[in-house]
Amino acid sequence: MGERELTFDLPVELGHVQDFARAVGEDNPVFFEAEVAEQHGFPNVVAPPTFTTTQIFHVPRDRRERELGANLDYDRVLHGEQEFVYKRLPVAGETLRGRMRIARDFTKEGKRGGSMRFVTYESVFTDEAGDEVLTAHYTLIETAKDVG
Amino acid sequence: MSEVQRISLDAITPGMRLGEMVYGPMQREDFKAYADASGDDNPIHQDEEYARNTGAPTVFAMGMLPAGYLAHAVSDWFGGPQHLRRFKVRFTTRSWPDDEVICNGRVTSIEGNVVRVELEARRRGDGPPELDLEREQVALIGEADIELPE
Repeated sequence: MGERELTFDLPVELGHVQDFARAVGEDNPVFFEAEVAEQHGFPNVVAPPTFTTTQIFHVPRDRRERELGANLDYDRVLHGEQEFVYKRLPVAGETLRGRMRIARDFTKEGKRGGSMRFVTYESVFTDEAGDEVLTAHYTLIETAKDVG
Repeated sequence: MSEVQRISLDAITPGMRLGEMVYGPMQREDFKAYADASGDDNPIHQDEEYARNTGAPTVFAMGMLPAGYLAHAVSDWFGGPQHLRRFKVRFTTRSWPDDEVICNGRVTSIEGNVVRVELEARRRGDGPPELDLEREQVALIGEADIELPE
């Protein structure tokens, strides 16, 4: 596992950060106004903690399947878990480089007979200096074909 | 509306509960706005007919929308997003149009200057009549680590 990897760029654009912040109901001005962000020690407007889920614009499901090959049946797939581990939050104006791989893939028996498969994609984001910014873990659950 | 709290390390004790925050009620337009901003364009969250063909009574929220609210709550509890070091959620049930999302947190441990918080977001609303749901259900559980200045 993990031998296949795909890379992509994630530009952190000001307007996109603001739109994303509004979409999750944010009203803290650090997500909207550069001056306020600077007062909090950021070089520019900050991206909300879950912003890098926008990586799906750059790595849609088809590309992920083609390049990493989990071979999931998406009619039976649920988003089970999501985790982010931060060194810092991304800021508007930078472009992150993402490296994505399958970090875990296992099957366990469900309570009602059918088995469930858990696939965790790990995306490590680095900045233009090559320093790590954050790591995201995206876990999908493929439910059994026939449940009870 | 929310208010960013100013909180210092010495004011935090294990077991401490963080003030409940309520978002929504979520509307279909909120699902569309989140889809447009996030890139999650799965039609199951926006297209009634598509959703019904998959067996759901109507569209439902992408999990990352209430997860975004929960991250918002964590950020506001701890003086802004800059101290967040880890944020994890597990999705336990779907949330529906007209649901409110109620976010709660409780401090579980403090190690050095890292505060660990357990998180919960409940959906509150009638839900689709076909499903005869409890009015309140836990929709997400999670955990966050916040590193506060000494």
